[in-house]
Amino acid sequence: MDFEFPEDIVKAREKAAEFARKEISSNKALMYDREEKFPEELKKKAFEYGIVDYTNPWSMLVTIEELCRADPGMGIAATVSLFGAEVIMLFGNDSQKTKYLGAVQNGEMMMGLAVTEPGGGSDVAGIKTTARKEGNRYIINGSKMFITNGTMADFFVMLVRTSNPEDGKRHHGLSTFIVPGNLPGFSRTKITGKLGVRATNTAELVLNNVEVPAENLIGEEGKGFYYIMTFFNISRAYVAAQAIGIAQGALDRVLGYLSELQSKGASSTITEEIQMTASDIATRIEASRLLTYKAASYLFQFRPNPTITSMSKAYAAETAVFATEKALEITGYSGINGDLERFFRDAKIMEIWEGTSEIEKLIIWRNLIKEAQGGN
Amino acid sequence: MSMEEQDILRSAVIEFAEKNIANSAVAIERTGITDDLAVSLAAQGFLGAALPTEVGGAGIDRQGYAVILKELASYSPSVSVLVLITGSIAGRLLEKKADSLLGRIATGEESFAVSLWPATDGSGSAGELKISGNKIRGTRRYVIGRPGGCLVAVTDDGKLVLVKSGFSLSDEDHHLSFRGLKYSVASIDSAHYEVISSNGAETMERILSGMDLEISAIALGIARGALAKTVDYTKVRKTFEKPLKDYSTVANNISRLMSELSVAEIALQGSGEMNETEMLMLKVHATDLAKRATKYSLQYHGGYGYIEDFGVEKFYRDAVGLTILLENQAADGMRLSKEVFGEKSGYL
Ligand SMILES: Cc1cc2nc3c(=O)[nH]c(=O)nc-3n(C[C@H](O)[C@H](O)[C@H](O)COP(=O)(O)OP(=O)(O)OC[C@H]3O[C@@H](n4cnc5c(N)ncnc54)[C@H](O)[C@@H]3O)c2cc1C
Repeated sequence: MDFEFPEDIVKAREKAAEFARKEISSNKALMYDREEKFPEELKKKAFEYGIVDYTNPWSMLVTIEELCRADPGMGIAATVSLFGAEVIMLFGNDSQKTKYLGAVQNGEMMMGLAVTEPGGGSDVAGIKTTARKEGNRYIINGSKMFITNGTMADFFVMLVRTSNPEDGKRHHGLSTFIVPGNLPGFSRTKITGKLGVRATNTAELVLNNVEVPAENLIGEEGKGFYYIMTFFNISRAYVAAQAIGIAQGALDRVLGYLSELQSKGASSTITEEIQMTASDIATRIEASRLLTYKAASYLFQFRPNPTITSMSKAYAAETAVFATEKALEITGYSGINGDLERFFRDAKIMEIWEGTSEIEKLIIWRNLIKEAQGGN
Repeated sequence: MSMEEQDILRSAVIEFAEKNIANSAVAIERTGITDDLAVSLAAQGFLGAALPTEVGGAGIDRQGYAVILKELASYSPSVSVLVLITGSIAGRLLEKKADSLLGRIATGEESFAVSLWPATDGSGSAGELKISGNKIRGTRRYVIGRPGGCLVAVTDDGKLVLVKSGFSLSDEDHHLSFRGLKYSVASIDSAHYEVISSNGAETMERILSGMDLEISAIALGIARGALAKTVDYTKVRKTFEKPLKDYSTVANNISRLMSELSVAEIALQGSGEMNETEMLMLKVHATDLAKRATKYSLQYHGGYGYIEDFGVEKFYRDAVGLTILLENQAADGMRLSKEVFGEKSGYL
């Protein structure tokens, strides 16, 4: 077993770190946070620099880590414009891939994934938005909540209900569609006042008799739940990478602060309690990395292991929250007046989006018990 | 104050908060505490609750004061901290001053801002504030309070000074907590000043360590506000066709936090009997509880917990800010271990 990354991934990490040093600064991050503004220019530059390339998933994983380490809001904004693309990549037809994937992969278009609704996000099978077939089109009605890239995306991969679950199985009868953002009857409202990741764009979508051509159906009708769960198995590894980046960024800043104290001759203020807390943060980050890289290793070899993926997402998310809270406690005024207060606010979303920590733990349990009972 | 009197006062504060704060709690976070609200707080006797009657305060005892702080914090921690700054900081710093400044602060006519540096955290860089002759100039960071009135801060050479005009507050300092108050940098340009104490750091430390009960009350109010919202929410929010409260993790976590909170509230109500060490112990418990309770509360609100409009995220921010902005955890740790071990401990 070799724990070192191959040369090309090491280079990808260095390149992302170099980009972050050049393009992400505390002042810029503060401005985007305060103004709740999407860093359009940064996103454009990230594509030009060649660091946003989801066809190379390992490079993408370490890139996300490095950018979020510099600033979570800007880091996520720069790498999230293809959110949901894997659904088309894995289940879309050739014409959908040609029409939509190329444009998002080179940064010309932006997309979003619309699953959550005002009535619920954890209970994916409980969504209420419907698509009714009429001739060669579907009519969509309903609303979606908290959708990343919501007011900016050119199109969405959207989960809707196309038929009632006949056998009481609620995850049946769901389908995914590509829904362009500019269709009549489709309105989008930006959500402001988020606790963190304020450089990312979030919106509520309302669909009132929105007509979508039947050719926009992804894969087969009724298989949407399965497609979305497959997608989450992939995207959760990237969320774990965001969380690791945040925790590492917090640790960097703690170590910077403590080194400065040491060099000012104030070592005596760095008590054992502080030393051990810093060690705890570092240990949890390392454990999160091992879990996440293991999950990614299964995933990127096309044999996903949902148990490990959920473990990595839940653990890395908790680590981000733990690390940022402890970092603020250690650095006090200095932290609250620097990047760390933003990291603290940003970190909490890791335990909520793309499967809350509770949902991840329920998935882990379900798989564990299934395995214990012989896989049935 | 007897338990019955505390209950009557509690009802009055809740009635006031329902009328004046509940519907504007989000606006308070976004745009700050309005002059009207400050004046209403004063008219009810809450703003100057802890100040002596001679200066226009209500002269209430510590238990009553704690009731006010706690109940207000459960609606808006910022409003509660405004009352704290007025009663526990302005009140103590300005008590010996002969003029009517404190009276005007008690009635909300004059606002008051203070930098607690270096008592809360001496290691941060707080700017330079120097006295030259009869003038003072420079900047002081970590100022908390409402703008437009007077300012108290410690100078570089350790004097605690009062500046009544000739300064401005800009909100360039980051803004994690207590957004209803300004958290700012004071720029002072050749202003007149009055020395309140020649040993500023010590005075500030004394004031800070004298607020253990009050900080406990605010922390418990934060926990109460967040948990109350969560109990209500988890009764009506359904996932997988069942209310959240029916899931054992949700119900047990919230119930355990509620038990911790209730026990601490009982202790707070009976705090008339408490000595200094017990108050410190209550604070250590209450501030830790506030952090845990607000974290669970935000989490159980899911995506809505992450959005300002739902009024839960502010508790999460303020619970953490409370322990950094209004206390010195390192110093508290030393104070506590000294009490526990009977001698200086826990410094390595
Ligand atoms: C900034 C932001 C961006 C987002 N971006 C997107 C996006 O691009 N696309 C998208 O589709 N969604 C997005 N979301 C939504 C996000 O995925 C959901 O918020 C999340 O899945 C939780 O759903 P919910 O908010 O409806 O909470 P709920 O599902 O109502 O859950 C509330 C709480 O109850 C807990 N809970 C639920 N069931 C159980 C149980 N059985 N046992 C114990 N606890 C339980 C949950 O863990 C959570 O803590 C975003 C959210 C935010 C805040």
